[in-house]
Amino acid sequence: MKLRLLAFMAPHLMPRFLHRSLLVWFAVQAIGQAAAPSLEEGRQHWAFQPLKHGVLPKVNLDSWPKNDIDRFILAKLEAAGLKPSHEADRATLIRRVTLDLIGLPPSPEEVAVFEKDESPRAYEELIDRLLDSPHYGERWGRHWLDLARYADTCGVHNDLDRPYAWKYRDYVIQSINDDKPYARFVAEQLAGDEVENADEQSLIATGFCRNGQSNDDNMGKTKEVLEQYRVDQLDDVIATTSTVFLGLTVGCARCHDHKTDPILAKDYYSLLAIFNGTEKLGMAKGAKDTKDKDIKDSNQVMALIEKKPNVPRTHVLLRGMAAARGDEVQPAMLTVLASKPIAFPKAEGTTSLRRHTLADWITSPSNSLTWRVLANRLWQHHFGTGIVASPSNFGFTGATPTHPELLDYLARELIANGGRWKPLHKLMLMSATYRQVSSAEHGADPDNSLLWRMNKQRMEAEVLRDSILTASGKLNLKVGGPGIKPRIRADLLDASQRNKWPALDKETPEQWRRSVYIYVKRQLLMPSMELFDAPTTTDSCALRMQSTVPTQALVMMNDEFVEEQARFLAARAQRESGDDLLKSIERLFHIVLSHSPPESRKTQAIEFVKQRELASDRMAALTDLCHVLFNNSEFIYIE
Amino acid sequence: MTAGLTRRHILQQAGAGFGGLALQSLLGADGVLSSANPMAPRAPLFAPKAKSVIFLFMYGGPSHVDLFDPKPALAKWHGQPIPLWKKEDSFMVGKTKNVAMKSPYKFAKHGDAGIDMAEVYPNLARHADDLCMIRSMHAESNNHGPALFQMNSGFIQAGRPSMGSWVTYGLGSESDNLPAFVVLLDKLGAPVNGALNWSNGFMPAAYQGVPFRSSGEPIAYLTPPKNVSASQQRARLDLLKQWNTEYAVANPAESSLAARINAYELAFRMQMSATECTDLKGESSAVRQMYGLDHPTSAHFGKNCLLARRLVERGVRFVQVYSGGNEGPKAWDAHDDLKRNHDLHCAETDGPIAALLDDLKISGLLDTTLVVWGGEFGRSPVAENGKGRDHHPKGFTMWMAGGGIKGGMIHGATDEFGYAAIENRVSVPDLHATILHQLGLDHEQLTYRFTGRDYRLTDVSGDVVRELLA
Repeated sequence: MKLRLLAFMAPHLMPRFLHRSLLVWFAVQAIGQAAAPSLEEGRQHWAFQPLKHGVLPKVNLDSWPKNDIDRFILAKLEAAGLKPSHEADRATLIRRVTLDLIGLPPSPEEVAVFEKDESPRAYEELIDRLLDSPHYGERWGRHWLDLARYADTCGVHNDLDRPYAWKYRDYVIQSINDDKPYARFVAEQLAGDEVENADEQSLIATGFCRNGQSNDDNMGKTKEVLEQYRVDQLDDVIATTSTVFLGLTVGCARCHDHKTDPILAKDYYSLLAIFNGTEKLGMAKGAKDTKDKDIKDSNQVMALIEKKPNVPRTHVLLRGMAAARGDEVQPAMLTVLASKPIAFPKAEGTTSLRRHTLADWITSPSNSLTWRVLANRLWQHHFGTGIVASPSNFGFTGATPTHPELLDYLARELIANGGRWKPLHKLMLMSATYRQVSSAEHGADPDNSLLWRMNKQRMEAEVLRDSILTASGKLNLKVGGPGIKPRIRADLLDASQRNKWPALDKETPEQWRRSVYIYVKRQLLMPSMELFDAPTTTDSCALRMQSTVPTQALVMMNDEFVEEQARFLAARAQRESGDDLLKSIERLFHIVLSHSPPESRKTQAIEFVKQRELASDRMAALTDLCHVLFNNSEFIYIE
Repeated sequence: MTAGLTRRHILQQAGAGFGGLALQSLLGADGVLSSANPMAPRAPLFAPKAKSVIFLFMYGGPSHVDLFDPKPALAKWHGQPIPLWKKEDSFMVGKTKNVAMKSPYKFAKHGDAGIDMAEVYPNLARHADDLCMIRSMHAESNNHGPALFQMNSGFIQAGRPSMGSWVTYGLGSESDNLPAFVVLLDKLGAPVNGALNWSNGFMPAAYQGVPFRSSGEPIAYLTPPKNVSASQQRARLDLLKQWNTEYAVANPAESSLAARINAYELAFRMQMSATECTDLKGESSAVRQMYGLDHPTSAHFGKNCLLARRLVERGVRFVQVYSGGNEGPKAWDAHDDLKRNHDLHCAETDGPIAALLDDLKISGLLDTTLVVWGGEFGRSPVAENGKGRDHHPKGFTMWMAGGGIKGGMIHGATDEFGYAAIENRVSVPDLHATILHQLGLDHEQLTYRFTGRDYRLTDVSGDVVRELLA
């Protein structure tokens, strides 16, 4: 339970009834629910155990496994009396793996080459090529940006612009392209000012601690309110750090010991002690001080740093209230995870090194939780569902793993590879499990939790838009820099009065860049992103929903963007295949769906175009067909 | 797992002659796939008094002591410091002084119940016996952003679902052709926090508020691009439906594929129904006049009130109508000159609100529609800049009407200065619990699981205010 409602609130405004009803509620909860596990019970929790060095399970269908992952999967299938599905065809595989790794569909030529390539190493080479692509970081960086609640504005009140937030986005993309060891990646984001060889990039990395919402033009005017605001901001850092790296909802322990996990309020404040000496570098444009004067901040990075080694004393804050100080606490790791106290450096040098100590502890090979959480995140993005279905909650209320031994095996592989992601991607993608068809049928296990087939996944918002741009031939592959603001229908813009999004009549190639570069304005998310479940950025997002709502259909049916790109695609098909209608249609299917149309589709498409031609001309009729293809489920769902 | 088999079975049947009856039965409200539709109507927990809510949100913070909670003591102490005021109560530090300010308005008692109302709400005064005045509201922030979040979502920070989302999550939609949660904005645009005020928070996007505009395109992307004709769009959708149905039939394990077909058909119908709903041409000139549409001051809010009635009539569950947009004097945020500010905003809203209540009453809809009036906080009893009032959350007034709420009553009280709620205090969670109760929802049982915890609109507090229930 996290009492964020107490946040922003001046302590003297604490209504007595609230306090009273909280106490009553706690009492009721204590009676009505099983008590939170004790530390001893907590230490027995599966997720906190050392990684098991299990033996590989024995399987009957020995011909199926392509690597060890498959043995774990197959053993469970066989125990349930199930059989794995057969391998998907080449066209499906290249489409699946390309969209998965770089978020863009393969070109018809790439599909054709791969289909003809008879080398036994063709698939492996494909994976290697994609992992080397600079677009890999744009795709997998986006997953990380979801976790890091990345946005380009402050959100609250006037939604001020953060002119340098994009540098963090570019840092993430670059780090992931470089396959930076996870320990370094974590250390830079938590303690970029303290790491060895700290530089501008590692300072930018601490944007991780600054991406949360803020109220920089309206923080408050009294010392008490400002102090509460400061600890509220650090609460966002602690909550995000613990859910992202440890898969634990430590934020719940801000007001009291955790209700369902063995996390103490003292643990929370020991983490606060780690961040308590930090200062903000780089404020939002238009940030105001207590006298409503503009804050001058010429720093061109947005960072969280320390300027001195001495950290102010930290106290438990009763009910999270800055003014209600309890016992003093020392910096420490979570009691349940750290069997013996971690030594923090003495106050000397230029910073306290507390955050660096935290980062080192998080990514220590003996911290099994961290590596399980990370392995599970990678698995989840490839397969659609994690081995643990609650990717940011590995606590007592989280899901239990469907394949615990596999999870431990993957975590060990990650550590063995120095915390690099690319070898693990390759391992997962090379498996027979990943290569299965997605449409097979079985009576048992309809949720496919045992993975007797591949899961179909709906394209994420960014993949959908980028795939449309790829098909039309208009995608602008320019990398990095400040965010872009594509066209949003003008009458939508009045929902956001301040720092307006420009009203565009016409889009140009500058707007046709990849969606990861779209400016994330918290109070006006790009409709085509928001409607297709891009995160709202208020909290860390570990798992996007795949909702299906009529407003999605409206934007896909009526947005000028889809219309215009359909027109470009029609022109492209005509250009590349001449006047022969059948050839144009075949070309369109290859471009949009990566395969040739079956006979029935050919007939339907020809009939449709001929019918539409009666009302207009060939170009317009083909545009209609392209529009249908973009809205088509077969395009939006990845087999 | 029989549902899966049935679904597959029906899908195969549908494939044989798709588009016809089979598809209808498959996708309809009672069809086996209705569970795939997050907006399918759901039965409330107990018999509801209200089916819909119209929340008239006076953004900026209307002054309770100048509208509904007369304080003679302020006239007596005018220009003097009041004993209760603390320095830290000021939001505008330095500008707000501990100097009592009397109301510029005269009050009178109205209706059989003798409800006190200021002279600036002459039309609303006719409805005194319909109104339930809550004079003991209190909230937790004296800053617009957090206070708006609290009134809308129960929490002072962003990220929680708004009340409209909770209600549609709990009850689904009664309308096949319109969104369930609609937001109508002031002509000046959105309040601070923008779209986060009607956010679905951690719930699926289906429960998000949909802003409707009273002119131009009512919903975002409702109309096709200029060069696309209606018949052309239908032709596209026909082929799309054929392909998407075939694909859904071939992939029976993916229920969302069938939901997609449904979503396109609903979107197509919405293009007509939303346009029809916002087209006020069919309303008589008497109705238009009643809502103040022919008067430039009240035209915009009047149009939105009329639209709110039309939406509720068509089964929309939760309508939020904002008075005041942007910031400062443009909203009810009367820092500099209370009289000038409230003269304007009362003139904008008085006629339309009275008309809305009349209209709902005539059609009988007031019985099943809960109308709520209020802002994110009230205003200080002491003066800011001599003539204005500062933000003040410790005591303020809201009122409700219809939807099974007692009319002609005053609940609770503030102290003699209107500084703090002291009798029968009603918190924001209490208000939320009461609204949910009228809709047949128990605020303690309406939960949504997110990151391992069950969340509530009212979080850990809130009591239904039983005294208000008819």
